[in-house]
Amino acid sequence: MYELLLSTAIALAVVLAFITVAAMFFVYAERKVAGWIQHRVGPNRTGGFAGWAQSIADSIKLLLKEDLILRGADRRLFQLAPAVVMASAFALFVVLPFGPGLIVADVDLGVFLILAIASVTTIGVIMAGWGSYNKWSVYGAMREAAQVASYEIPLGLSLMPPILYFGTFSLKAATEAQTGSFGMGWYLFSDAFWIAIPSFLLFFVAALAENKRAPFDLPEAESELVAGFHTEYSGIRFSFFFLEEYAAMFVFSAVGAALWLGGWNFPGIHLLEPGSTLLLVLATASFVLKAFFLVFIMMWVRWTVPRLRIDQVMTLGYKYLTPLSMAMALIAAGWEYVKHLGAQA
Amino acid sequence: MTLPKAPTEPKPPRGYFGNITDTVVSTAKGMALTFRYLFRKKVTVQYPEVRPQLDERYRGIHYLEQELCINCDKCAKACPVDCIEMDATRHGKELEWHKFQLDYQKCMFCELCVYPCPKDCIHMGTEYSMVSEDRSDFVKDLLSWTGLTEEQQERIEAAEAAKAAKLAAKKKAAEEAAKKEPAEGEAGAEDPQA
Amino acid sequence: MNSHPAARFDDKPGREVELDVATQDCMIHMGPQHPATHGVMRVLLKADGEILAGAQTHLGYLHRCAEKIGESVDWLQYLPYTDRYDYLAAMNNNLGYSLAVESLLGVEVPERAQYLRVIVAELNRIASHLFAVGTYGLDLGAFTPLFTALRDREEVLELFEKICGARLTYSYVRPGGVMNDAPEGWLASVAAFLDGFEKTWHEYWTLIAENKIFIERTANIGVLSAEQALAWGCSGPMLRGSGIDWDLRRDQPYLIYDRLEFDVIQGVGYRGQVGDCFDRTFVRMFEMVESVRILRQCLEQIPDGEVLHEEVGAVIRPAPGESYVAIENPRGELGHYCVSDGTKIAVRVRVRSPSFCNMSVAEHLMPGAMLGDAAAIIGSVDIVVGETDR
Repeated sequence: MYELLLSTAIALAVVLAFITVAAMFFVYAERKVAGWIQHRVGPNRTGGFAGWAQSIADSIKLLLKEDLILRGADRRLFQLAPAVVMASAFALFVVLPFGPGLIVADVDLGVFLILAIASVTTIGVIMAGWGSYNKWSVYGAMREAAQVASYEIPLGLSLMPPILYFGTFSLKAATEAQTGSFGMGWYLFSDAFWIAIPSFLLFFVAALAENKRAPFDLPEAESELVAGFHTEYSGIRFSFFFLEEYAAMFVFSAVGAALWLGGWNFPGIHLLEPGSTLLLVLATASFVLKAFFLVFIMMWVRWTVPRLRIDQVMTLGYKYLTPLSMAMALIAAGWEYVKHLGAQA
Repeated sequence: MTLPKAPTEPKPPRGYFGNITDTVVSTAKGMALTFRYLFRKKVTVQYPEVRPQLDERYRGIHYLEQELCINCDKCAKACPVDCIEMDATRHGKELEWHKFQLDYQKCMFCELCVYPCPKDCIHMGTEYSMVSEDRSDFVKDLLSWTGLTEEQQERIEAAEAAKAAKLAAKKKAAEEAAKKEPAEGEAGAEDPQA
Repeated sequence: MNSHPAARFDDKPGREVELDVATQDCMIHMGPQHPATHGVMRVLLKADGEILAGAQTHLGYLHRCAEKIGESVDWLQYLPYTDRYDYLAAMNNNLGYSLAVESLLGVEVPERAQYLRVIVAELNRIASHLFAVGTYGLDLGAFTPLFTALRDREEVLELFEKICGARLTYSYVRPGGVMNDAPEGWLASVAAFLDGFEKTWHEYWTLIAENKIFIERTANIGVLSAEQALAWGCSGPMLRGSGIDWDLRRDQPYLIYDRLEFDVIQGVGYRGQVGDCFDRTFVRMFEMVESVRILRQCLEQIPDGEVLHEEVGAVIRPAPGESYVAIENPRGELGHYCVSDGTKIAVRVRVRSPSFCNMSVAEHLMPGAMLGDAAAIIGSVDIVVGETDR
């Protein structure tokens, strides 16, 4: 019992440290990517070389800032909201398969768990918007509710093709199923690649919307809603929303990497002895790099396209993504059935 | 690449799948462009380390050729915001200067003070950096550069020296050209600027 | 994705819905401090959920008594103040004021100065339209076009810095001509800029006008009909975007515009209806193209000679009388009405600023649009608050 508690505590501490460090890195990377795309250099002073300490300085600043609560705000909701948001982001990391054996909890329904917990974030956002005593914040919260509720459907449906292909909801089992073909048996390169590529695009767009990333950043659209649901937040409470955004970006990228891009597999993984430290390190690096690449694409999209309007977000969700992802799920199921028939014959 | 003519006909609206293709294609085009931007040369200047190369026409902090000035007050009269104040006592041909102040809290660097000067003695320099925690620092006395810090003075002097050297080199080149020209014909000698 | 909420609205006039609960329209103050108001301006929005039921624009936060100052300083001393009402197109403001004063003086500006004036005014138009298109992208949530626009605008500002020493408030065009002749090689660097700009123009077209999301956000939004545009006294891209063929450079030619060949761009409903937000951006995009054409012709035709009329000195005393001269500013018709009583100080300097008239119609475009469109409509008007308030 004592050992279980200890190991859980260690795992949680590692996850928390990873989220914080990764989010700080992403904030830095986002600013650098934005800078480069916009003909600037981005942060380059703090800490000497290439401004590497910018995020650290920012987080210290955020920690030291005054924590303001408006007089008319609903204090309890206002204070609880960042914690809810942060906790849900934190819990998402539990089922991510970082490497062989490097997983906090290998849940059988891992993909479902991620979808379920990700929508808890919405509740935190609505609490924040409602509790802020600010009209812009309420608008942000209502947009978030409408948007996330609509995009849960295409997101879940677009995850069906890989789930049907691998026959499992567990991210670990799905990753292990992609080890074949010298470590290149990724779903994207499998015999069902013609299903995998469009379903990956659909998943990516739905994930952008679910994470309220541009062009779907309606809840915090700064040219319309000032800062949306976190207009009234400052200091550490604001930084929780900030961390959550980047943590959720990483989680959805990691899910995409695990289901479509082979998870921790990399070419040549079959040559390494199973269970060796080298394999563990390389596999983890491969997984994290793939997720980082997808995060980079999310940033790249953000700095390219304008924002949609809320009714267009809804139209895109219900009229385009939902039918298309449903079609993809049906096609994937049909293809699996055809394969099944072929195997029987 | 040449610029296109403005279209005069509207584009026909697209259907369901046309919208999808348009969205994917136009986003991909934009992303291809921003991807190229990632590796382009950056245009920003790292300011305190790299100072912009300012042209000699730049309208920065004024400087005064005190020995030429005759205290005629024309620049002060031309100033739209009355930021120039000057005072001197005349002893025969000599002027005893008391002050020639410019209030840079008011000055809007319009250069209208420079044109009416009969002696061409007030100029706008290339110095622009004015940072202080004290408002009184912005009221600068142009007599003997007292309004400028040592570092700024050094920079101005260096710039002046470089300008003079450039002019001298140009003159020398022109002289050499003028020496060569008469051998070829009278055309060079007629133009006084050559 | 094509149907606009306003269209749905018009189907059901009155928009009365039977509800069990009492609902109330939400009043939202957009501004004075708001990212999308382009300065200090307040728009009071009346919103029914995401859909706007009405809007009211409040101006005056940037009022600096510019016209009153004109009655207390010399004719020439007022020149730097003209820079400051439309700070994105200061050359054009200088030009408008100078032309008004010259018409009082009755002097003919030397030809080289006229060409130089057209060159700087058109360069300024390119810079101003670049900024307008870039910030419009920003209003719609795309950051990168603004920085791309600033990159090219920077080159124009550097050209201005070389010719007059200032980057924003030029005071270059003055009554009687221009302050300085162009320095050596300046005209060549203008040509070099045009060569570069012809390439980068396509980048804006790709990033902004061809982007499907941008089209969806702007097409059929804020449709300003031709009658409405005329009735509200709109001018510039706002008027031409509504399909009215009117450009002061062609229809009331000043300077040497009658010698130059250029087209007047009109909105054609390229992606939606005539007069929508997209058309206004479309007009700005192609006006830049026309400016390049004008500049190329000017660079070819520009003669040598004086740049300042010798009779116009530091102190100007026009004969008693009044003059009204309107020019085509990047934002529309910029008129200066000057009254002189023969002294060195004006009796009245009245400015007819394009942004003010253009902005006054914007609130009438908003009912029926969505909250996100408010930023799109304000942005498409391309106001400079310094000019609306003066």
